[in-house]
Amino acid sequence: MSLEQFKNRNVGVQSYKTLDVGTTPETGMEKFTQVVKRSVKGELFVGLWVVMKRMLQALFQNDMHTVKYPFEKLPISPRYRAIHEMLRLLESGHYRCIGCGLCEKICISNCIAMETRYDENQRKEVTEYTINFGRCIFCGYCAEVCPELAIVHGPRYENASEQRASFSLFEDMLTPIDKLNLQQEYDGFGAVSPNADNNIKQTPLAY
Amino acid sequence: MTTTLTEHIVTDLPQVTAVGVIIKAVIILAVISAIAGFGTYIERKVLAFMQRRLGPMHVGPYGLLQIAADGIKLFTKEDIVPQNANAFIFKIAPVITAATAFIALSAVPVFPDFTIPDFIPLLGGTFVPSIASDLNIGILFVLGMMAAGLYGPLLAGMSQANKWGIIGAARTAVQFLSYEVVTGLSILAPIMLVGSLSFVDFNNYQAGGIADWLIWKQPVAFVLFLIAGFAETNRTPFDLLEHEAEVVSGYATEYSGMRWGMFFIGEYANMITVSVIASIVFLGGYDAAGALGWLFIMAKIAFFFFLMLWVRAAWPHVRPDQLMWLCWKVLMPLAVVNIVITAIVMMV
Amino acid sequence: MYEIVAFYLFSALTIGLFLVTVMSKNILYAMTSLAAAMVLISGFFFMLGADFLGVVQLIVYVGAIMALYSFAMMFFDATRDIKEKNTSNALVFLLGGLSALVLVLMFAAPIMSDNLNTANMLINGMSYSEFIDGNISKYAQYALDNGIQASVEGIGNAQSVGVILFTKYLVPFEVAAVMLLVAMIAGIILAGKKMDNSLTKDASIDDEILVVKDEK
Repeated sequence: MSLEQFKNRNVGVQSYKTLDVGTTPETGMEKFTQVVKRSVKGELFVGLWVVMKRMLQALFQNDMHTVKYPFEKLPISPRYRAIHEMLRLLESGHYRCIGCGLCEKICISNCIAMETRYDENQRKEVTEYTINFGRCIFCGYCAEVCPELAIVHGPRYENASEQRASFSLFEDMLTPIDKLNLQQEYDGFGAVSPNADNNIKQTPLAY
Repeated sequence: MTTTLTEHIVTDLPQVTAVGVIIKAVIILAVISAIAGFGTYIERKVLAFMQRRLGPMHVGPYGLLQIAADGIKLFTKEDIVPQNANAFIFKIAPVITAATAFIALSAVPVFPDFTIPDFIPLLGGTFVPSIASDLNIGILFVLGMMAAGLYGPLLAGMSQANKWGIIGAARTAVQFLSYEVVTGLSILAPIMLVGSLSFVDFNNYQAGGIADWLIWKQPVAFVLFLIAGFAETNRTPFDLLEHEAEVVSGYATEYSGMRWGMFFIGEYANMITVSVIASIVFLGGYDAAGALGWLFIMAKIAFFFFLMLWVRAAWPHVRPDQLMWLCWKVLMPLAVVNIVITAIVMMV
Repeated sequence: MYEIVAFYLFSALTIGLFLVTVMSKNILYAMTSLAAAMVLISGFFFMLGADFLGVVQLIVYVGAIMALYSFAMMFFDATRDIKEKNTSNALVFLLGGLSALVLVLMFAAPIMSDNLNTANMLINGMSYSEFIDGNISKYAQYALDNGIQASVEGIGNAQSVGVILFTKYLVPFEVAAVMLLVAMIAGIILAGKKMDNSLTKDASIDDEILVVKDEK
């Protein structure tokens, strides 16, 4: 293998095209010939034909790219970090949060507030848990630091409401007890995305 | 001999009365305003399809009532006159644009002539002509009125005490003045061939079918007229007067509500006027007599209207210096050469 | 009837608008009223049946000349009133009134002499209708001699203007054309001295700008 190939680290299949932009005309004659060439060559009509083709495809082959958003939604990545969710234990149905307070500590925008106490079994119980979504920057540290995989980011990205408090109470974020069987396990931060195999490139093994 | 002939023609034609002309004027005002509104819908839809979008869909079936929604919005919007603006001129400028656009349409044949049926009370039997004012210099009148139309954007830009407005007004003056030259010179060659300035004579000259159309004899003039028409109606490759990326909204920056809407209606009426001139002068006009001919000219006008939207979807706009360069160094010499060649061919 | 009403309406409006042009201290008002008056003047041409001249008035004066004026007006702040410096109002009104009087006399003189002739002839015993007939035939002969054929069947307004322009008024027409050409070339030379220099590329111009800055 030559050195040239070692230096070429972009091993994956590239689909870049190099356009021939030609040279910038200097003399008046060159400018003139360029104008004549561009006028006569019909590049303008190529442009017209391209949009016309698109229009015909859109009308007759139903090749529309519009997503009628409130009525249809695109699937989002499973690793998308939107409104938080609090998960439950699958066996008992009790919430997973152990009230350790790590998320409150690590939160860089200081938007998580929690109050805990010991219950009658000397087990920590969460009495208050709120997230101020006016401040949350959805960095994902809380989910990353959680030892119990109790707080995770869910796919709920439509956070328009009349009050910020609408999402932020513990009960709102907690999986409803009757939908416990639908609760999706969270791979945790750093988990590979489901389509990672497609995105991966061949690793150069020469060194 | 000549007197009998003229008498025969006069008795054969229905009488054009003042009432008929007024009805025609009202029809032009109502229909063209409606078409201008509908034009915005068509423009949005066509642009959307060309970009693989759906366009307006939710107000009415396929978004058809979007026009009504827009109209209500324009009429009910707050009418703002900026603090340091010259209020009188500021208010009168959009009226100039809309009025000149419609006055230009008064000398253009739009829609066939007809007689109001007798069973309608009051107006029954009134003959409504196809041209509201059949001047024998129709083309020049239309060009003159479109030239006068430049005062709308110009005064609007100068009166609103806004820098973007001033730049828009300056561009208006430069662009319209320059391209009027090209419009006039390009249309001069067909005028020389026909030997008349009347739209009717143009139509009669090309009455023999597609082979007689002036576009085959004057292709250069046709292309030049189209380019200049785009510039004079402020359509996309030359929409420098109100190009958002450069001058916010140019002369229309401070306008809101119906005053802004009047600029828009004027622009669409001008688009229709240019389409009508192009179809009559170069594409044969309403060649076949009767309803079918009128359908043909409607199709031609619709094609030119569509072409303007099509070009807007396809091509980027040019820089102001490129615009001037194109006008004075390319189009005007071409038009002059075209006229000289036409004259030589006619003499020989 | 309609024509008389239209004539007086147009006259009053035109004079009023020109008065606004002269009197107003606001550039925008002056400019707008001047342009509007130009449009109304084309109305007179239409009323006289000179469609072609009316449209030419529209295109040339309204579309081109006035637009150039307004383009020049953009160098001023159009939203503010102008402070005029008059040394003496009496002198201004005297000069203005005198020139107006001279103009009126100039235009009125031929009509006055015509009227005097009429009076003379009537005194000499010719009946009024006879006089009118004679005059009309005289004008018709004059029109035929000089190619004025506006009323002749099949020949339009544009053609008669063309005929008269290239026969009777050929020399003034050509002289005016040469004058305009001279003016155009002079304008190009005056404006185009630095046309070949690019403001962005040429280093010497950069220096000039620097020098100007230093002087301040």
